[in-house]
Amino acid sequence: MGTTASQLRKDLLSEYQELTFLTKQEILLAHKRFSELLSKEDRNLTRVPMEKVLSLTELKSNPFRKRICHVFSTSDMKDGSLTFEDFLDLLSAFSDSATLEIKSHYAFRIFDFDDDGTLDGGDLEKLVNCLTGETDDTRLTPEEMRQLISNILEESDIDKDGTVNLSEFQHVISRSPDFVSSFKIVL
Amino acid sequence: MSYIALWRKALHKIGGHFGGGVQSYFMFLRFLVVLNFLSFLLIAGFIFIPSIVFRSTSNSNMTVDSTGPEACRVYDPNLQGLVVFYQYFLDLLSGTGFMEYSYMFYGYYNNTVAESSGFHYNLPLAYLLTSVFYFAFCLICIIARMGSALRIAVATGSGAAGSYSKMVFTGWDYGCQGYRATKLKQKSIHYQLQVDLEEERLQKKALSLTLGQTVGLCSLRIFLMLVSLALIGGAFFGIFQATVFSQAKVGAEGILGLFWVYLPSIVITNRNFVVPFMCDQIALFERYSPSTTIIMALFRSVFLRMISLGVLLFTLWSQITCFKESKDCQLCQYNNKEYPLGETRVGQEMYKLALFDFLITIAMLILVEFPRRLFVDHCSCALTRWVGRQEFLVPPNVLGLVYGQTVVWTGALFCPLLPLINTLKFFILFYCKKVTLFSNCRPAVKTFRSTTSTIFFLVVLLFGWGLALVAMIYSLAQIHPSMSCGPFRSLTMMWSIVPKTFYTLSLTTQDFIFYMGSQAFSIPLFIFSCVVLCYVAALAAVYGKSVDLLKAQLKLVSDGWGEKSYMT
Repeated sequence: MGTTASQLRKDLLSEYQELTFLTKQEILLAHKRFSELLSKEDRNLTRVPMEKVLSLTELKSNPFRKRICHVFSTSDMKDGSLTFEDFLDLLSAFSDSATLEIKSHYAFRIFDFDDDGTLDGGDLEKLVNCLTGETDDTRLTPEEMRQLISNILEESDIDKDGTVNLSEFQHVISRSPDFVSSFKIVL
Repeated sequence: MSYIALWRKALHKIGGHFGGGVQSYFMFLRFLVVLNFLSFLLIAGFIFIPSIVFRSTSNSNMTVDSTGPEACRVYDPNLQGLVVFYQYFLDLLSGTGFMEYSYMFYGYYNNTVAESSGFHYNLPLAYLLTSVFYFAFCLICIIARMGSALRIAVATGSGAAGSYSKMVFTGWDYGCQGYRATKLKQKSIHYQLQVDLEEERLQKKALSLTLGQTVGLCSLRIFLMLVSLALIGGAFFGIFQATVFSQAKVGAEGILGLFWVYLPSIVITNRNFVVPFMCDQIALFERYSPSTTIIMALFRSVFLRMISLGVLLFTLWSQITCFKESKDCQLCQYNNKEYPLGETRVGQEMYKLALFDFLITIAMLILVEFPRRLFVDHCSCALTRWVGRQEFLVPPNVLGLVYGQTVVWTGALFCPLLPLINTLKFFILFYCKKVTLFSNCRPAVKTFRSTTSTIFFLVVLLFGWGLALVAMIYSLAQIHPSMSCGPFRSLTMMWSIVPKTFYTLSLTTQDFIFYMGSQAFSIPLFIFSCVVLCYVAALAAVYGKSVDLLKAQLKLVSDGWGEKSYMT
């Protein structure tokens, strides 16, 4: 990759501008924040481990932070570590100018906890637990969870196969006008 | 309306941190600030500024003195020269002394009829018509706002299909940063899901009840409603007895005298705390769904508070006009010994109510909420954990606002500057409540939907308006105006200025207005307005049907689309 801690080459900058939804300022800021995550000894590493990424203030308290790292990581070891380009992909998907299709696509992948391409009951349960809080006193009771999951599947599972696939998910998202503005992370 | 720009950022921040319910309280407060300000502009334009102008030109031949007995026309507002310095402060708090004979109250306005080179301005008529129009203007504003809120509620539909998946898939705000904000959002999502699920469960259970069980539940609810009505009735009887007792004991000296004077207020305050608490306990047995319980509690508290105000007004008027036919009233048809200027007295009472309401809110903030937060944050004993931080409860706060506004409406006829005072009061209240919200309060666990809550706040406000309207109509039509001062001093009834001026109009105008009142005009008008009403009702039905049709079509499209993908 050849990026140093101080400077981003101009040709790379214009290439990134073309490939992502980010503006030049946003890419430069992302580069600065990403370089801060690399400590002095890891100067020649190109991947930032997941723990360091999760220390960013924008991600620190997000309940979906681990899933976000896993989705955007291109690491072979599936450990959620991000290169700078993965990081830019992340910011691009969460940026102001990304389209609804891109956002809903990535949201689907984030919610798909077992990475099998559909949202089944287990995924939905984990999703709801992330939304309400992981501790015991903030979870729904098992009956409430059952009732909620059956309601969700009844509303959004159109082909009645017991799971929500990408098109059904995008159909629900398209009816909600706030999604684009709430699915946003800006540094 | 141009108020959209006022406080927009602050409201957005409040909504993001504390949810839609709290935000709707602050939006309601903003609406009241603007309403009061516009009313003040109305009153200033037609009453206040002409009065200043006429006073400064001071043509004494413009005022018409009353023709009643000499004793009734005496009015000495006790303008002393040098007074003790704290007297000014006491006068400011109670509206007496230097404030009594000023533009604040009814008594200062003259019944000038200014005529100069073609310009004719009848101040008493302007006073009356402005007050009437002020009520109409407030009603129109409230209904317009209710209409826009209803439109949103009908279009989105509370609890529309697809709400669970929408809430779960799109409910999270990824821009939410910080541990506290995240926990808040999670808690509110949790509560919202729980409430929706419970309502659905209750609905299913209600449908599955047998006839016998339904009858039993209904009779239980009716019985409990009668019990709560009896409680409220008992409270009013207590207030009435306390007021009568207090009036009988007037003149007692010292601390005991002070106690007797404040007895009605003490009883009212006690009732305001005790009765809602008991109604809450009753509500536990009624087994309504959570949102219905909140609404019922709000209506009961409103009922209680409004009628406390009504009892106070009733007692005041009965004192001034001697319901008990005592000999004080025979000379001037009102009690001129104790109330030489009864209208000012009523205005003073309303002014005092508004002011004390404000002072007590500020005092509660400083003396209760801030110390509570300091106590909870710095001590960590079991007591603080049980007490916890203050929770911003929306219904009692909304009631406070509606009560304040009702006081202003009842008092506006006698204290024309009261809307201005109320504008300032609510303006300062916004900032105080915002400060206490962000520093002292934890978010309420129980939230309710913001669209339906706006409508309920406005309905409750209409109750207050109705009470003030009754008070105003009674004042205009029944009370004999004071003969010593005020714009209606030469009349037997406030409303009679209208017929009097009417007969000074030119004959053609009189004939025209008589024609408008006659049957030849009013019956066609009535028929025409019935036709318009039927048309609007039909239009509303058509729109309702088309909304349902669109909703069904949406469902059909999704099913049909599912069919297509199933077949491929």
